Amino acid sequence: MENICAIRNLTKVFFVERTGEYVHALDRIDLDLNRSEFLILLGPSGCGKSTLLFMLSGLDHPTSGEITFTEKSHDNKRLTCTVFQEYALFPWRTVIDNVAFGPEMRRVRKRARYREAERYIELVNLTGFETRFPNELSGGMRQRVALARALANDPEVILFDEPLAALDAQTRRVLQTELVSIWSKTKKTFVYVTHSLEEAVLLGERIVLMSSRPGRVKEIIDIADIPRPRSTTNEREVKVLAMLAEHIAAEVDKSMRREREL
Amino acid sequence: MAVSDTQAVAATGRSGGLAVPSPLVILKKYYSVLLLIIVWEVVARLNLVTPFLLPSVSSILKGVYKATLEADLIRDTALTTYRALLSFCVALVIAVPIGISMARIRVIHWFFDPIVSIGFPTPKISFLPIFILWFGLFDRPKIFLATLACTFPIVTATYLGTMGVDKYLLWSARNMGTSENSLLRKVIFPATLPQVLNGAQIAMPISIIVVIVSEMLMGGGGLGNYIMVAQRFADSVSVFAGLLVISVLGYLLQKILEKVRALVLHWHEETQHESK
Repeated sequence: MENICAIRNLTKVFFVERTGEYVHALDRIDLDLNRSEFLILLGPSGCGKSTLLFMLSGLDHPTSGEITFTEKSHDNKRLTCTVFQEYALFPWRTVIDNVAFGPEMRRVRKRARYREAERYIELVNLTGFETRFPNELSGGMRQRVALARALANDPEVILFDEPLAALDAQTRRVLQTELVSIWSKTKKTFVYVTHSLEEAVLLGERIVLMSSRPGRVKEIIDIADIPRPRSTTNEREVKVLAMLAEHIAAEVDKSMRREREL
Repeated sequence: MAVSDTQAVAATGRSGGLAVPSPLVILKKYYSVLLLIIVWEVVARLNLVTPFLLPSVSSILKGVYKATLEADLIRDTALTTYRALLSFCVALVIAVPIGISMARIRVIHWFFDPIVSIGFPTPKISFLPIFILWFGLFDRPKIFLATLACTFPIVTATYLGTMGVDKYLLWSARNMGTSENSLLRKVIFPATLPQVLNGAQIAMPISIIVVIVSEMLMGGGGLGNYIMVAQRFADSVSVFAGLLVISVLGYLLQKILEKVRALVLHWHEETQHESK
């Protein structure tokens, strides 16, 4: 397994101006990303999993420690690209122009970037919707556009920040299946933040369990050998789910006890 | 089938936008204005007040027609329109960059914020004596004054719009390697546009108001001046004729701006809901 990114001793401290307190969001995180894996960051809310994602995307910087990618970023090569729960599509651009945004920023010629965009639109099953505007699409379709837009940058790693949390259960199911198929087709590394245990078990190859504040890596569970398609009712999946539930319950319990003490 | 056909026809009729609406539609939309005009005409014809205090609508329309033939009214209308539109456009060109850079650059915010907070509530028309002193009597003081008055609402709207740009849009654009320059042109500016146009829609009537009032106070042609001259000659029909033209002008300019808004923001939810 080829390592593409090493996170070493990463700590993030926020200063909260209102209360004048320092909050330890992440504490001495050590983690390696392997090429083409589907990595899940799982933990209770407030455990810093989104913060970790932000550090990986380069939108925020660690207080100490480092993140090293084996490949170097340059103008024509993005290391990471993020898919947010909020879609974050440009509402004044049509579907195809949204998807072609990254190539446009890299000054790819118009015809070439449309051809590229077209390919990714097909990959996320949105052919025929190229000229629609985002607000004419359903939530599930918007998230597909966001995914295609991320893919069009051809990044090493695609970061997902609870991308399906705002969708209804039906759409979420469909998109989970499609995500797995797109992941196996594109061979990209997916880092996927979620607080849903089912999602972690259905999608992930490795599950990084995080503890609540300060966020630490509590345990890494390798479930790459569970065959796909997965289901939450199969024996092995149920076992993993139960184990995860236990961990999370303990974490939530811990953080609630701490809150009561404060 | 027949039902869906008529619905389709109705829908295209509405979304066409540029098509001339049927008289019935106009009646439905503006019946209160029509009612007012009818009451006005009846009251005027009953001779409850002298025609000098309240001339009948029909005589005002005749007055407009006569004045149009004499070309006075046309010249003054053109002059007012030119002043108001030029002021509005210059204000737009000045105010949008100020508003955006106030939101983006600390020093500029520090410089302009107090000026805007003090200047916005000040009635700009009170600068008229100084502006006459500085810029003379004809076009320039009026245009400068109206420009000044229009600048504040557009700056404020643009500033607030830029501050309110969805942070996720900025994050995802940055994450895709967008340079600061492209971020401004390709993300921040289009994202701010709805708010800029809000500001513009507030500024347009202000522009007309300031131009008319300064014409009334200092002469130099224009509809404001037209009314004041008519008043001096005790020609109340012409006063009302001027008023009528002013309100029609204001209405038309506002309507044009609405069309421009719908055109520019064709991607925006509000526009799309309207056409559905």
